[in-house]
Amino acid sequence: MTLLTVENLRLSIYDKPVLHDIDFQVSAGQTLGIIGESGSGKSLSALSIMQLLPHGSQVAGSIVFDGEDLLNKTEAQMCDIRGDDIGMVFQEPMTALNPVQTIGQQVAETVIVHQRVSRHESMQIAAQTLEHVELPNDEFPLSRYPHELSGGQRQRVVIAMAIALKPRLLIADEPTTALDVTTQAQVLDLLKRLTHEHNMGLILISHDLGVVADIADHMVIMRHGKVVDSGLTDAIFKELKHPYTQKLYEASGHVPQRVAVSSQAEILLKVDSVSRDYTLPRTGLFSAAKKFRAVNAVSFVIHRGENVGLVGESGCGKSTLARAILGLEKVQAGSISIDGEQVLADMQMPSSLRRKVQVVFQDPYGSFNPRHKVKRLVAEPFHLLENKPGAREYERTIAEVLESVGLASSDGDKYIHEFSGGQRQRIAIARALVIKPKLIVLDEPVSALDVSIRAQILDLLAALSDRYQLSYLFISHDLTVVRSVTDRVLVMKNGNIVEQGDTETVFSDPQHTYTKNLLSSVPVLPGEHH
Amino acid sequence: MLRFVLKRLLSLVATLAVASVVIFIAIEVVPGDPASYMLGLNAEPDTVQALRDELGLNASKITRYFQWVGGMVHGDFGTSYTYRTPVSAMIADRIGISLPLALYALLLSTVIAFPAGIIAATRRGSVADVSIMGATQLGVAIPNFWFAMLLVLFFSIQLRWFSAGGFPGWDEGFFAGVKALTLPAVALALPQASILARVMRSSLLDTLGEDFIRTARAKGLTTRQTLWRHALRNALIPVLTIIGLQFSFLLAGAIIIENVFFLPGLGRLIFQAISQRDLIVVESVVMLLVFAVVLVTFLVDVAYAVADPRLRAQR
Repeated sequence: MTLLTVENLRLSIYDKPVLHDIDFQVSAGQTLGIIGESGSGKSLSALSIMQLLPHGSQVAGSIVFDGEDLLNKTEAQMCDIRGDDIGMVFQEPMTALNPVQTIGQQVAETVIVHQRVSRHESMQIAAQTLEHVELPNDEFPLSRYPHELSGGQRQRVVIAMAIALKPRLLIADEPTTALDVTTQAQVLDLLKRLTHEHNMGLILISHDLGVVADIADHMVIMRHGKVVDSGLTDAIFKELKHPYTQKLYEASGHVPQRVAVSSQAEILLKVDSVSRDYTLPRTGLFSAAKKFRAVNAVSFVIHRGENVGLVGESGCGKSTLARAILGLEKVQAGSISIDGEQVLADMQMPSSLRRKVQVVFQDPYGSFNPRHKVKRLVAEPFHLLENKPGAREYERTIAEVLESVGLASSDGDKYIHEFSGGQRQRIAIARALVIKPKLIVLDEPVSALDVSIRAQILDLLAALSDRYQLSYLFISHDLTVVRSVTDRVLVMKNGNIVEQGDTETVFSDPQHTYTKNLLSSVPVLPGEHH
Repeated sequence: MLRFVLKRLLSLVATLAVASVVIFIAIEVVPGDPASYMLGLNAEPDTVQALRDELGLNASKITRYFQWVGGMVHGDFGTSYTYRTPVSAMIADRIGISLPLALYALLLSTVIAFPAGIIAATRRGSVADVSIMGATQLGVAIPNFWFAMLLVLFFSIQLRWFSAGGFPGWDEGFFAGVKALTLPAVALALPQASILARVMRSSLLDTLGEDFIRTARAKGLTTRQTLWRHALRNALIPVLTIIGLQFSFLLAGAIIIENVFFLPGLGRLIFQAISQRDLIVVESVVMLLVFAVVLVTFLVDVAYAVADPRLRAQR
């Protein structure tokens, strides 16, 4: 039975057309996956159904839900439908909940605004719903506040709010993008179970082909506000008939070409039983401050020209370890050697070593000062040099490094907001390269990028590694990417490295249970045989 | 929560102790001997010395500090050098005007600013928003004493609704007192309300852009329900900070307005005391103001914790 039919949906915002003749259908008990890169209009399509569009929006076409066109409804009628007949789950679980209300209040609110029930009854329904999304009441009482829960748990609360009244249609906009792979797998399982149990229609919006392929019956692929391909999920992956679908598919599993590193290469970085403690805030005025060990006696090496992956869930100590290697924080035990020079515990890393290691962060926009020109941004690491380049050499070095990452030397005079996400990440790489380091720490370098851009950046990184004999420490929660670009991989859990070895060996024959668990959570594209 | 309050209280006491030392030292450093000031330029050194003894100015600094602090703890603020009356009585008289005036002005500014800020934020870009923002711009720009004079010209001289100044005393009845304080309170409230309305607007706009507002709308709440149930409480935190700062200012910063309206408030008291080198009065009033500021800060901190559960958990 068809639940929702979207036909010829057109949307313009302040007279700028953003959606062009969108068509799709969802049936009860079925899952529709909407795939697209950023700016493709997938989220706006969902918000059109909810009629929660930004100011200045004009919608045309028809959105028929249960026999009635939602575009003809008044705002008051839509308020009755939202939350009762159609529920919605958003991407950012960390900010999707009101920080000053308990989770019980927030789930109960869905019931209170739609039904004439007492406070007590609504709380009972909230308790049942939270049980239903696998947040048992004895462990997660209704009186909990959002900040006391992890990202995955918060996303369950958001889902509970959306399904408290058993809506017939649930829209989930990138529900797992901000979550770890294992949590992602659990949340996807939950959504799958709920659609099945309540015979609910589900629209799952994602940029990740693997996620959608896993659970969608039908798929719609969007680009620049248009539907470019649609059909049964199996058929789409089997035929790959549209060139854009094909391109997305290839970019998702892209493996950059690299020259193999010789196994005789010398050791560049040696991390020897390094521990990193944080002092926790004192609980009382006179009690001793407690310590939290974020990294526990970790040892590994990186050879010259080698790309090493570091994987693990959020909070496992990956970034802490990276900061120690960058010399931003002292370590409490063990030693770090770079290019034969050693830094012991409680020692500040000298700038002679710090200039050999550079970093690229996940968020290319947040890591740049928007008021400086690109030239100046790229030149930032020069302060680590003893002999700072003269004016002519300065210009020449910047121009060279911008060209080496595929930008024009004239781009140095622009500001960062003039660039796209992928270009910004190129600038971040240029900044890391400018003082010719030996090792670059890449902290989730492609996580914020669309798949096709991601493939280009991965190619660039591979080419640079070959050209300059660069080593990478590639930190990521995206196991597919780590598998395609690294030679060796370290698996980290609760501050310990639980497994390390050649990437292919670890991925095809994991030894530690945690690694096995992690790998089994990775969504797999049809046709891929990992 | 209790732990949080106790910790804040402890820091309140510590702040007061530090402030008392600073005030005492600062006053000691200020040139001008109260005894010679009181006796005039031609006084004999012996007479000055005798008066210094009588005023207790010859005791060691440390003794005098502890006498001062110890007295204050018991409510004894010493005796005014110039008026020869207990400082506590003088302060009590003045605070009977300054505190109601500050509360009145704060009440007015909140009552004006909250609706104005909420309307401006929820109808961003509308005529209402533009007019409210324009008005607040004026409110911030106009000096309050000038506005006070306009009020007097219009309401006292033209319409004869209010008296142009003075205070009949609370003995004349509550209403008479409130009436006398109305024009000064309005004059004080105008710039405060303008600032508060702007803070309310921007804070609410920030909150309305948050993800959880969208979540609330997706649950089926109307825009009005979303505003009352989710946006306001979250938007209130920066607003509380400003209210706290404003109250402290209103209590002590009303000197000019008190002068315009001939009100015998704390501001005028401290002004006179400074010009007469009545240092014991200056010390005591400043200490009292510090106490008020610290107390308000404490209350604002507690209000934060009530408004935001994350703060309760952190400390």
